[in-house]
Amino acid sequence: MSVSGSTAFDVETLPIDRVDDGTSILLTGDDTEALKTVFSRIVAADEDERSIVLATNAGGRAVRRTLRNAKSGAGDRASVLTCEGPDHDDAVTTVDDIGDLTRLGMEFSSLVAASQQSTARFRAGIFLCSTICSEVEDTRSVFRFLNTNFLTELRRGEGIGVCAIDTSADLETDINSMISGMETSFSARIDIKVTGRTDATLTVSGLSGVDETVDVTL
Amino acid sequence: MERTILCVDSPERIATVSSAIEDHEDLTAIEATSVDEATQLLEDEPVVCVVTAYDFPDGTGLEIVETIRSETPQTPCVLFTDVSPGDIETSSFEELIVEYLNRDLPDATDRLEFVVNDVIDHSAQVGFLAPEDEDERLETLAEYDIDELPIDESFDRLTDLIADHFDVAVSFVGLIEKDEENFLACSGADWDSLTREDTMCTHSMLQEDVMVVEDIADDKRFNKNEQLENLGIVSYAGANMTAPNGQVIGQVCVLDHESRSYSPAERETLQQYAETAMEILELRQSVLEARPPEVAQ
Repeated sequence: MSVSGSTAFDVETLPIDRVDDGTSILLTGDDTEALKTVFSRIVAADEDERSIVLATNAGGRAVRRTLRNAKSGAGDRASVLTCEGPDHDDAVTTVDDIGDLTRLGMEFSSLVAASQQSTARFRAGIFLCSTICSEVEDTRSVFRFLNTNFLTELRRGEGIGVCAIDTSADLETDINSMISGMETSFSARIDIKVTGRTDATLTVSGLSGVDETVDVTL
Repeated sequence: MERTILCVDSPERIATVSSAIEDHEDLTAIEATSVDEATQLLEDEPVVCVVTAYDFPDGTGLEIVETIRSETPQTPCVLFTDVSPGDIETSSFEELIVEYLNRDLPDATDRLEFVVNDVIDHSAQVGFLAPEDEDERLETLAEYDIDELPIDESFDRLTDLIADHFDVAVSFVGLIEKDEENFLACSGADWDSLTREDTMCTHSMLQEDVMVVEDIADDKRFNKNEQLENLGIVSYAGANMTAPNGQVIGQVCVLDHESRSYSPAERETLQQYAETAMEILELRQSVLEARPPEVAQ
């Protein structure tokens, strides 16, 4: 029911090593595939954990496959909330409208609560928050959603969270201004710059023990 | 501090909900058993949180949430129900957003008291993002005895000078509190305070440099904000008032009723005005603290 002093979360597939319990990461970049790769490597759950992923641009099966590629068995330890494709099983929940943040929020919190019935540790993720921003009428609703149903779960539970934003999306706002504002509400930021066909540089802030820039193979 | 919570549930269940709330010594429950009754209570009594079931003979809990959000949008609401999210009709309430607490969870009633305190303490459902060190920021702001400082004339003069310099309709000095922005001085308008999520300053304060919005109609963060529209705000520029410990406590801003841009030099000038406002505040506070107690009284 409250934040505990639990052990950190391992992220061996990136040169990030470990992420402390309660950490919220704002993940940004203009390459959707690179965002997806880094996102899934952080959010893929270890054996004593669950992943809860809100996916705006992919069905449940695709999300679980991506997590499985990032970490063996992680697809089977994931609950996916998506607006695409059918419900395959209990681990995939679909909604009709990604702009219905009231429904999304309730479903997301419900999935976190359900996962905590089996294991306290979870990795939550939103891929892509920029799609949600583009679908809603009022950006204040996105902030209300993040506060109510995402950051609150991280504050209370034994988990970490990743909120991904595609900076190439047209969000009808000054995206640099919006992201610099959002960055202050998250405990960490990772910005991805693709440098080659399979290479990228991550600019990292807010994660202890991690260099400011790290090169990764995608 | 006592907190009044509106609890809404069926006649059979309401006592369970309100007694769970009142298990905490600082929480007081007021009860309603229908949407109509809840709506009436909201008109008569200020509440800091709403806990409601979903199904009622005369409507749904989301209608109650909609009512309170239209008046006090930052008030947190908890939907405490055994109806699953998939069975809740949200199509008319897509951007309402509530905390959902499943009543069927084994520890649901125990959890309710924790959740209610948590959403109030952390302003957990506001429509703006606060900095991660918001508590330290608010502590910094609280160190200034604003009501005791003779700053009105200085800030009135300053905002007049700023409005004149930039040739804008409105200039103000505002302090950003937990739930609202309080205007210490305002040239060109008569504003006391604004709900924080309705302000542009709550976004501007998160940026290191001056935030400029040339036309809010082109910015989705602000173009559905009725408060801004009602105030006739079209363009905005805001600079941080930063305390010596690095915390941003307020903003110095210029607004206009028409679209306009600000050159790098103008932004720099606005930032200097913000630093001047901060210096005035800091000096007045230092003078107050240096006075012997009997003089300060």
